Amino acid sequence: MLGIQKEAPKGLKIIIVGCGKVGSTLVEQLAREGHDITVVDKRTDKLQELTAQYDVMGIEGNGASYSIQKEAGVDKADLMIAVTDSDELNLLCCTVAKRSGNCAAIARVRTPDYSREIGYLREKLGLAMVINPELESASEAARILFLPTALEVDSFAHGQAELIKIKIPEGNILDGMTLAELGRRISQDILICAAERDGHVTIPRGSFTLRAGDMISFSATRSVAKQFLSDIGFKTDQVRSTMIIGGGKSAYYLAQQLLNVGIAVKIIEINRARCEELSVLLPKAVIINGDGTDEGLLREEGIDRVDSVVALTGIDEENILLTLYVKRVSQAKLITKINRITFREVITNLDLGSVIYPKYITAEAIVRYVRGKKNSMDNNNIESLYHIFEQRAEAIEFHIDGVSDVTGRPLMELPLKDELLVSSIYRDGKVRIPSGQDVILPGDTVMIVTTHTGLNDIRDILI
Amino acid sequence: MNRSMIRYILGMVLAVEGLLLLPVCLAALYYHEREGLYYLWTAIPSLAAGALLVRKKPESTVFYLKEGCVSTALSWILLSLIGCLPLWISGEIPSFSDALFETISGFTTTGASVVPSVEALSHCALLWRSLTHWIGGMGVLVFLLAVVPMSGGSHMNLMRAESPGPSVGKLVPRVKSTARILYLIYIGMTLLELILLKLGRMPTFDAVCITMGTAGTGGFGIKSDSLASYSVYIQWVVSIFMLLFAINFNLYYLLLLKRVKDALSMEEVRHFLGIVGAAVLVVFVDILHHCAGAFDALTKALFQVSSIISSTGFATADFNLWPPVSRCVLVLLMFVGACAGSTGGGIKVSRIVILLKAISKEFHSYIHPHSVRRVKMDGKPLDDYMLRSTGVYFATYMLMFAASFFLVTLEGRDAVTGFTAVAATFNNIGPGLEAVGPAANYGGLSLLSKWVLMFDMLAGRLEIFPMLILFHPTIWKEALESRRKRLKKQ
Repeated sequence: MLGIQKEAPKGLKIIIVGCGKVGSTLVEQLAREGHDITVVDKRTDKLQELTAQYDVMGIEGNGASYSIQKEAGVDKADLMIAVTDSDELNLLCCTVAKRSGNCAAIARVRTPDYSREIGYLREKLGLAMVINPELESASEAARILFLPTALEVDSFAHGQAELIKIKIPEGNILDGMTLAELGRRISQDILICAAERDGHVTIPRGSFTLRAGDMISFSATRSVAKQFLSDIGFKTDQVRSTMIIGGGKSAYYLAQQLLNVGIAVKIIEINRARCEELSVLLPKAVIINGDGTDEGLLREEGIDRVDSVVALTGIDEENILLTLYVKRVSQAKLITKINRITFREVITNLDLGSVIYPKYITAEAIVRYVRGKKNSMDNNNIESLYHIFEQRAEAIEFHIDGVSDVTGRPLMELPLKDELLVSSIYRDGKVRIPSGQDVILPGDTVMIVTTHTGLNDIRDILI
Repeated sequence: MNRSMIRYILGMVLAVEGLLLLPVCLAALYYHEREGLYYLWTAIPSLAAGALLVRKKPESTVFYLKEGCVSTALSWILLSLIGCLPLWISGEIPSFSDALFETISGFTTTGASVVPSVEALSHCALLWRSLTHWIGGMGVLVFLLAVVPMSGGSHMNLMRAESPGPSVGKLVPRVKSTARILYLIYIGMTLLELILLKLGRMPTFDAVCITMGTAGTGGFGIKSDSLASYSVYIQWVVSIFMLLFAINFNLYYLLLLKRVKDALSMEEVRHFLGIVGAAVLVVFVDILHHCAGAFDALTKALFQVSSIISSTGFATADFNLWPPVSRCVLVLLMFVGACAGSTGGGIKVSRIVILLKAISKEFHSYIHPHSVRRVKMDGKPLDDYMLRSTGVYFATYMLMFAASFFLVTLEGRDAVTGFTAVAATFNNIGPGLEAVGPAANYGGLSLLSKWVLMFDMLAGRLEIFPMLILFHPTIWKEALESRRKRLKKQ
């Protein structure tokens, strides 16, 4: 508030059409990063809610109409983001905006019919980005299923390095070990980037002692990560079978990715017509028509024998209950999709295992683009950005283009901010986990993990 | 309730007031006036106290409309309490109540004075009175929003509580930029008027004071006869600028963006100008045979109509002596007031327009009970919430007016004095009729009346609810509770 934060540098002018789940999440995040935001929606009550809560301007009307876009200042805008419920409206919004203004445009397109032609659409309509939350969340679920001991897996450095979140179980050898010891006794090549204990996220130092029940995120190359996990007694095989409950769009995308690598997929869907559609789209999957919340049906279909269960119904409460139920009856790896509800601390305490929030995934992708766009005038570019620990920490990858205050000096001599860590350096096609003697050089890609939000530039890591 | 945030805002307000007092000290140096010391002695402690309050950052930045209203109301009370100190201590206005009345009248841009002979005041006091008009016109919290770096979205709640009008729209997405644009337009227009007055060979000190009085639509003059002794050119310039400052500032922003068509089609402004035109015509015809020729009558009619409808309260003639029709028109104009989003007071033209449209909708529903008809403003349908809140505002306004009128008549003067005294302060005009007319002042009223009118001025400037909410039991309960909790913790 007044004077508490440093004045934000000049932000971009952004128009967001549609203030549903993703729209509101975007407003929240982008407003916090200091952009000039105008929100367009037909629903006055939604607009009033948003404008009362955030420093944004609201305009009531149809975002695809030229006069409304003009009122929202499309001719001076830098970016148009269309995230209404309708794919067609989103595409029309962006097309109109491209024609009337000189702005980049991002559209949300979810229907599989269009998503197969996404490359074509993007090119022909000149869109900067097309986002598909269902596809993105399916990909995230798939990454977790490939490494089921992890709670979250994010990939960096063009897929060479991964940021993996795990929970330390009772009696694990990490229990009671300091990070310095971990480095000496188990592996030098992994770096614990962030740890959560009792709901509090920290960027740990060498003296930090791990305990059972901590959630930790570590970065490592893919092979080292697997080795490390098996060294500390985690299983590293991918799942062999998956039961997906709820046959929506993301179930389709997920099933497709899993079937491609030979994982057996069973989908339970309540709507008969949808089942028939799915059986045409996914001939290799087993499609069950029935109520996924029916205990008898789940037992009949072998819920206690399956390797993994993904709850993807449209109702958050059902997903949570399903996961809690399956946790009681089987050892399966569990993934829960949560769309709408926001009681994050409660959800974390429920110990659901892996949780996927499609609205955050979408918002993250857009925030990454926006930060990158803002920096395109400077030398530094954000390659990727992930929110970890339910947005309480960020992992950001910067590409270093030129010489600056941070380059050419050993990391231990840099006056880094508190609660901030340089977690990996990608140079000449190789990932290295840096120690105090390492230096950042122009041309590197550097990953930073921090609980500060809104880092825009690599120089922001300094005090 | 977020007390630490309110404390922080009050600290900022104190600091701003300290800074505002400094130019007065400079003026004192220039005019070799000892009174300047009192301003300095007020400025330094309030700067220090402000800095002290601001030093500790608030624990939580959660801030809702409730906190916005409370901190706005408290800010204005604090501003007035500090602002009256130099006037009181220096002895220029010997009674504390009178000094406070004068200062509140300044900040709320009312311009009702208790000083019998303005010429006897020092340059410092005159400059300070005019400066309070200027900062009070656009609002001190809007000023804070414009200059203090901040983040977070809840500041709209401050702006909403301080800005006049039924709804507060933003010009641009961010509150800060909106506040800046408003102040830049405000400063620009102020400078323009200053230059035009200087071209009319007005002495610099007079020009500065009168300009600030016009810009804030305040009305403190620096002579007992207000503006009557200045040239006709100056009177015309001031008339026109009073009207300009009473127009919704969105119009100027649209003009700056070269959206002339949108600017000209603003419904509220068109109605405002219509009312002004009609009023000038009626008064002109009515006073024609009292004046020295048609041009003189036109000058006087235009000046007085602009002065009253913009809620400024300058005078070029003692309109208390005008015929009844003109007096009646002027009193009615007091209630109409300026446009929303301007520096003026009153009920606001947009509310009047909305009320009239609601009435016509009501008629329509008597004739066609099943008809569906949305009330529109500027081509856009108004939601029911807006209609309802405008109605409630009007009802509250009337109730408060009635209560104040009753309390002021307790002192046993005639009804016209009581009625116009309340009308002229509640609407932030300044002079009323009879015993509080342009040639008289408020000094003769009883203590009770003065305090009632002080409350009315603040309530009128902040549009009633932020002021009244201070008396709501919930607010008290919350304020006391959080203190009790803290004591318990210790």
